[in-house]
Amino acid sequence: MDPTTLKPADRAIYVEVIPLGRADEVAGAILSANLQEFFGLPAEVSPPWPVPDYAHLPARNQYDAGLILQQLSRDLPADGLRLGLTALDLTLPILTYVFGEALVGGRVAIVSVFRLGREPGHPRKDLGLLYERLLKVGLHETAHALGVPHCRRSGCLMRFSYGLEHLDALEPQFCSSCLQAIAAPHK
Amino acid sequence: MNQEICIMVVDDETAMRESLAGWLTKEGYRTFTAGSGPEALSLQKDCPSVLWLVDIKMPGMDGLELLRQVKKDWPQVLVVMITAYGSIESAVEAMKQGASDYLLKPFDPEHMLFIIDKILKQQALVEENLLLKERLAEREGALFEDLVSSSPAMNPVFKLVEDVAPTDTPVLITGETGTGKELVARAIHAHSPRAFGPFVAINCGALTESLLESELFGHERGAFTGAIKARRGRLEMAGGGTLFLDEVGEIPLKMQIDLLRVLEERTFQRVGGGLSLTSDFRLICATHQELPQLIAAGRFRPDFYYRINVIAISIPALRDRLEDIPALATHFLIRYSREMNKPIKHFTPEALRLLSAYSWPGNVRELKNVVERAVVICRSTVLGAPELVFLQPGKEGESRGLTLQEVELEYLRRIITASDGNISLAAKTLGIDRSTLIRKIKRYGLNKPSASA
Repeated sequence: MDPTTLKPADRAIYVEVIPLGRADEVAGAILSANLQEFFGLPAEVSPPWPVPDYAHLPARNQYDAGLILQQLSRDLPADGLRLGLTALDLTLPILTYVFGEALVGGRVAIVSVFRLGREPGHPRKDLGLLYERLLKVGLHETAHALGVPHCRRSGCLMRFSYGLEHLDALEPQFCSSCLQAIAAPHK
Repeated sequence: MNQEICIMVVDDETAMRESLAGWLTKEGYRTFTAGSGPEALSLQKDCPSVLWLVDIKMPGMDGLELLRQVKKDWPQVLVVMITAYGSIESAVEAMKQGASDYLLKPFDPEHMLFIIDKILKQQALVEENLLLKERLAEREGALFEDLVSSSPAMNPVFKLVEDVAPTDTPVLITGETGTGKELVARAIHAHSPRAFGPFVAINCGALTESLLESELFGHERGAFTGAIKARRGRLEMAGGGTLFLDEVGEIPLKMQIDLLRVLEERTFQRVGGGLSLTSDFRLICATHQELPQLIAAGRFRPDFYYRINVIAISIPALRDRLEDIPALATHFLIRYSREMNKPIKHFTPEALRLLSAYSWPGNVRELKNVVERAVVICRSTVLGAPELVFLQPGKEGESRGLTLQEVELEYLRRIITASDGNISLAAKTLGIDRSTLIRKIKRYGLNKPSASA
């Protein structure tokens, strides 16, 4: 077994990848495929939900990820995990921005591609790089949603990323402790 | 994981409070949230947090007032103030009142975690430092137990130690070998404002003139054959602390002039160096010799003597404070029983009589070695006269009329036998190197099997 992935039989949680607003089909497909690959979770891209205007912060022209998570938590199926996907600029009231956000152990998470395609000195978007970053943030936030906090071990995807440079330096893999925590049964 | 570290978030805005707490939870911290100062203070009583993140602007008790209250009730709690761009002045005021740092909201996620990490690491260093200081004080305290005395003869010593410790005045400690001159020097250092600086000791009688010069002043690379790299001397090493020159009477005349210059001008040069160095140290010297006699014989400079002998402390010999022997012996008995994991409770009255009757030419050091040796060979819960057989007058009397070599041979044989042929142990008891003991064994034709037989 690849030490960075889990067997499908390890859990019975079903993941919905939910586009919020205009859908990026490729991004959704990448996330769902890799959630199945890495966590062994059945995952599928759902029909898009509307743009979360309720979370818009006019003064900052950003969207409050916390409010979006609250919305995603509503009527969450007992065996469900919802991962929101958006192109909007996410933040939290206390922070300037976030790449993604999750309720630790709350089985809801959200990721944004808004800041992931930025490359200082490269005016054109590098799609390959963007999707690679999206995959890492998506796996990281989903692991949070499964109850795994940040990790201090170098090389583990659950290590907090200090910006894009740090994110790029990480490989999409987890340390054995975090893998164990991810594999622990969740009710 | 930081699960054991608790952080309190105090903000009247629920969204701010919850989002910050959520972030910290992801980082692995255990978080508590409060919407007001009184709520936070109440929560702290049941769920103590080491770090508080406090919004400055809150209705009722504001952040600054809360900071004052927290620091009053829990001075060890670290507080980081959170403020909007408009109120930098308040943040500066908070820093003056003891806040560890402040964050301007909204803040970059990496900045927040960096600040928290930095503050907690600083705090851990402060705590570690305090712990080390406590341990050092305990260790020094253990050393000074060897000085414990109820004898009136030691009162002037303790009084002088107390009086001179807070000053930088040079001290000259005199007394026979083994009376504890270095312990007194360490006691002065430990009770001085330099206590957390270095205590640098050097035995001036143990080194040749050139080596002593190099040890004291240091040398530059290439100063002499073998000086392959520059080296700091003890004078430099003692900066901020105390320099202890043991056996000061052995310092050659020329070096006395050099040292006198250092004491007068506070500057010196390394051997082979041209650069003038300075070092701020307190000087304590010790000797078992009568320096005035050495001056009369032309072996010690009077000007150097007057410079180092500003305060003189004379330590009485153990034979002049016999009443201390039972207490000191018991102190060493407890220490060595514990170290060797032996259940020896006390001395028999006869053993104490033997100890008190002995003349102790080697003073406290000899007493310490004798007790250590007796503990090694003791197989009972009480240490009795049989373990101190070599102190008995009859046994001592056997050596009368013998040559020095015969006495040494007999004594070596007894110690080796008492140590069950263990050379290292015997050497330790005798207070000499293992290699020295082996040389003596060869010289006298002693060997282990017959010695232990």
